[in-house]
Amino acid sequence: MEIQDKQVNGVTILTLNGSIDAMTAPKITEYIQALISEGNINLIADFKGVDYTSSAGLRVLLGAIKDTRAQSGDMRLTGVQPDVLKVLNLSGFTNILKIFDDLDTAVASYA
Amino acid sequence: MKKDKPRIALVIGSGSVKCAAALGLMKVLERENIDVDMVVGCSGGAIYAALIALGWPVQKATDATLRMWTREVTAKRNIRAFLQLLLPQIFKFDESFGLINDRVINRRLREGFDGATFAQARIPLFVTATDLYNGEQVVMSEGSVAEAVRASISIPYIFPPHKLDGKFLVDGYLNDPLPIGVAIKEGADIIIAMGFESPYKERITSLMRYNFQISSITSNNLFKTNYAFHNLAHHFEIIPILPEFEQRISLFDTDKLPYVIKEGERVAEQQLPYIKGLLTG
Amino acid sequence: MSTYKRIALVIGSGGIKCAAAVGMWHVLQEEGIEIDSVVGCSGGSLYGTLIANHVDVSVMREQSAALWTSDIMQGYTTNLKATKDGKLRFTERSGLVNDSVLNATLKGIFRDLSFDELDMPLKIVATEMMTGEKTILSKGSLFDAIRASIAIPIIFPPWEVDGRLLIDGAASDPLPIDVAIQDGADIIIAMGFPLSYRERFRSMTAVQEQLNSIYMNNILTSTYAFYNLAHHAEIFPIIPEFDAPISMFDVDKIPDVIERGKQATRAQLPHIKRMLTSF
Repeated sequence: MEIQDKQVNGVTILTLNGSIDAMTAPKITEYIQALISEGNINLIADFKGVDYTSSAGLRVLLGAIKDTRAQSGDMRLTGVQPDVLKVLNLSGFTNILKIFDDLDTAVASYA
Repeated sequence: MKKDKPRIALVIGSGSVKCAAALGLMKVLERENIDVDMVVGCSGGAIYAALIALGWPVQKATDATLRMWTREVTAKRNIRAFLQLLLPQIFKFDESFGLINDRVINRRLREGFDGATFAQARIPLFVTATDLYNGEQVVMSEGSVAEAVRASISIPYIFPPHKLDGKFLVDGYLNDPLPIGVAIKEGADIIIAMGFESPYKERITSLMRYNFQISSITSNNLFKTNYAFHNLAHHFEIIPILPEFEQRISLFDTDKLPYVIKEGERVAEQQLPYIKGLLTG
Repeated sequence: MSTYKRIALVIGSGGIKCAAAVGMWHVLQEEGIEIDSVVGCSGGSLYGTLIANHVDVSVMREQSAALWTSDIMQGYTTNLKATKDGKLRFTERSGLVNDSVLNATLKGIFRDLSFDELDMPLKIVATEMMTGEKTILSKGSLFDAIRASIAIPIIFPPWEVDGRLLIDGAASDPLPIDVAIQDGADIIIAMGFPLSYRERFRSMTAVQEQLNSIYMNNILTSTYAFYNLAHHAEIFPIIPEFDAPISMFDVDKIPDVIERGKQATRAQLPHIKRMLTSF
């Protein structure tokens, strides 16, 4: 799992590539914790390169999302692939997270 | 923890006249100067969520409910519907099916909300319904309040689905009777969730009662499992307020409104110490 | 050495689609993946029992064809009319179908087999009629447990087990993963069957089916969502996809259903195997 980040209009965009599962999710959490400690609490996760999310992976990811919210921030998603979207639907994540079709709308949602 | 003041959401679930207990809850919160930052309503709860979001005082809200919701709203039968039941092909049975003519309820809601729009609400308002074609939750947060409430209370078989933005919308309770997820999504911290379980029958003596029992079983299970999920998914507190009524409160028992509101006040008082603790702690 | 050792199979409600579990079982055996326990709900209780009893895949196929025939619905139309005409009184023990064919078919398959005679631990989930509570059956007659678990409300009469009147497990939980979690499973392979949605509504029955599907699918996703967060390790959902709706008695579609079960399992296989070798 590769992660990169960049800042756009005060929003941090995380680009993820690979699988989010029990093995890789802790790495994502660490990354996000570091961002939060630097005051970056408005996050967007670009899921274009995410091909798979496991049950444990989602659980760990949600932990990180809750941390941003505890600081009055949020994590919103974009670029979710169809197979992954199915899993997010089944896991109730589409009801509790904001998911956007494209990056620009996602960034604008923080305005 | 957080530096900002915690954002408080009120979520009012499906429960027809019982949802008026939310007015009792608001009385208590107002007395304590506790501001609610957003309201979410589903089905019967949508009516009260809208009245609260529009900032109407409890008395005005109670009067509005008494005028809007009477037996007349389900009195006028939709003749075409009965013909559709008998001869579905000839009378072109389709997705707009409903046994009751919805002209009365539509007029009552329009008059009751007097042209109010979501934009006029004092605090953000969210009303949920269900998409008839794919079972998904539809969250309405703009446009006409009366239309959104009409969609949310589209009781299956009784009222026709409500067409809005190209979708056929039915009662919100079919996807989640207590839509806490909306409050979580919209950034609430403290979520006060007022919900109502469906009653079980003590004896089953007819097919209709059997149907009702099954409907209550599935409805309550949907309620519980959604609550369980939201409980784990939220980053902070969800305070469930589940009023219990000694008397049976049926669909049109608006004469019991004062009793329902009082019960809402009572349960609110019970949770008050904890809510205050969360705000100062 | 694997830390996460215990693997459970959960097979949910889905009528004739539950035959896809035969395909899943075929693939798991082919790959040498050993299952430690099984949980079955509604139609899934049938296949769960066959799997826990190490029945051969080809025999499972035959038994499926014998079970899902329209004979089991005998009396439905007559009784429905009689009820509506007020000639038949409906109580909590009633069902529109005369269940003698269903009972005979199930008895024919499971005879007097009991839970403790099985090779693998099995739990079957039903729902208590008067309270809506989930009921877990793990002792005594398998026929009784399965008959209770598949008692589709209103259609089949409820079934009494140990003094409790029971109906379809799906009414409380169409995919009871929590039973596996409670029993300490680490890896949970869960096969579930969302109901399909209609595109047109030409009759009251169509509306009723759609509303039922909406309800049941929302219960399925909300329970899955909860279990997903509540579990400590991995849940692998296996959800076979079907091109066209498959109705209750399409027995000639059983081979296709089994094939889709295999496909859906194979799609999850790389992830399951990675999990097994990583921990």
